[in-house]
Amino acid sequence: MRYVNKVLSVDEGIAHVLSGCRLMLGEFVGAGEPACCIEALLASGVGNLTLITNTPGLRGGFLKARLFSSGQLAEFIGTHVGTTDESTQAYLNDSVRVAEFFPMGTWAEKVRAGAMGLGGVLVPVGVGILDQPDMFPDRGAPKPTISVGGLTCFVEPPLRADVSIIKGWRADTFGNVEFRGTALQNQRDIAMAGNYTIVEVNEIVEVGEIAPERVGCPGVFVDAVVQGLSLDDQHALYKRQWTKLGRLPAAAAVA
Amino acid sequence: MPALPDHPKQRIAARCAPELRAGEVANLGLGIPTLTANYLDADAGVIFHTENGAFGFGGRPALDAIDSDLTNAGCEPITLMPGAAIMDLATSLGAMRNGYIDVTILGALQVDALGNLANWACKRDGKWWPGIGGAMDLCYGTRKVIAALAHTDKHGNSKILPRCTLPLTGKRCVKVIVTEHAVFDVTEAGLLLREIVSHATLADIRAMTAAPFELSPLLQARTA
Repeated sequence: MRYVNKVLSVDEGIAHVLSGCRLMLGEFVGAGEPACCIEALLASGVGNLTLITNTPGLRGGFLKARLFSSGQLAEFIGTHVGTTDESTQAYLNDSVRVAEFFPMGTWAEKVRAGAMGLGGVLVPVGVGILDQPDMFPDRGAPKPTISVGGLTCFVEPPLRADVSIIKGWRADTFGNVEFRGTALQNQRDIAMAGNYTIVEVNEIVEVGEIAPERVGCPGVFVDAVVQGLSLDDQHALYKRQWTKLGRLPAAAAVA
Repeated sequence: MPALPDHPKQRIAARCAPELRAGEVANLGLGIPTLTANYLDADAGVIFHTENGAFGFGGRPALDAIDSDLTNAGCEPITLMPGAAIMDLATSLGAMRNGYIDVTILGALQVDALGNLANWACKRDGKWWPGIGGAMDLCYGTRKVIAALAHTDKHGNSKILPRCTLPLTGKRCVKVIVTEHAVFDVTEAGLLLREIVSHATLADIRAMTAAPFELSPLLQARTA
């Protein structure tokens, strides 16, 4: 069996991110971010993007957070803006539109609905709170609800993207991805919710090297495989950031 | 119970620890709640959940054992204990909505006499900030929500109110309120003061608590 080789350079992959794109990135407060693709995005200057991510990332000028101060974002769709100073400023000075915040489980299910070809999801969390008048004036319309078996739910449409970029541990040249640890996140859902999906990995291997049951995201959902930081360099990057933020060494007392 | 630390945040965190029971699945919010783990015995039998997708995480790793693919919800390095399990994000948040987390300790801007909790938004430059994260899912589905917060704000105003004035994170979800001065149970009949954990007198507690409360039979037994 011959599988297409999807390996591209980072710049070749990022060239698919066009001005005005809806762009979805894997991450959780900066963990599991596609570092090399983000650096390339920043260098490309491509603008007017709608960024769809769980959070803005990790504070201290780390990776994705800089997109909020680079002028490349038009809109952010996520759960929170307060995890970085860049995103807080962009939100407060209206340089990046944030129509509403979603509870994280709601956001994850909207992405999953986009991934799985659903028309949306029904979510009871936040009913009676997030639909209060004046809660999200920029939203433009009230949040629709429906009652199912006596439970009132928001009707939440799916989230999809023109380009999705996920981060894995290793991938074969066809795009079968294996994840490490808690960087699993919802990377697979994000891959499936993108019209064009790039996976950045620490290591690219030959087809057949990843056992089928270890494939966390099948290559069928992936369009491009790009080489990211080595795992050692990734650990070093986060160690530097954690040191900068005073989160190392361990057991630091709260002031 | 061992003596509680003097530092207010550490005292709140330490006092929350005995509210957790062996076998419970617990999610600790960022800030003061995270510190509670430092006051639990290693064999306390509490299974810690982190919403980015793991059950059974442990303390900080040694400097040379740090793995940037093993982090908690605040993107801090963690360890996984024997018996730990990793899951994807939608599963982790689904577990929170659907009652698989037994207890959560959450910081709060305000709590009130009905057990409402507000911790996701304050007005900044006319806008609600900073956002929701996983807190609303936790409040929605978790059986026992413990609010861990300073009794008063920096101006001396009570953070325990008759009714919250900020946008709610969860409605009628708080079961226990722990501050640096007191522990309250939230009941159908309102707040019950169960314990005074500082040198404050009952009159002091009344003066710094805007919400009405009654004395718990447990408190009366202790002070009798």
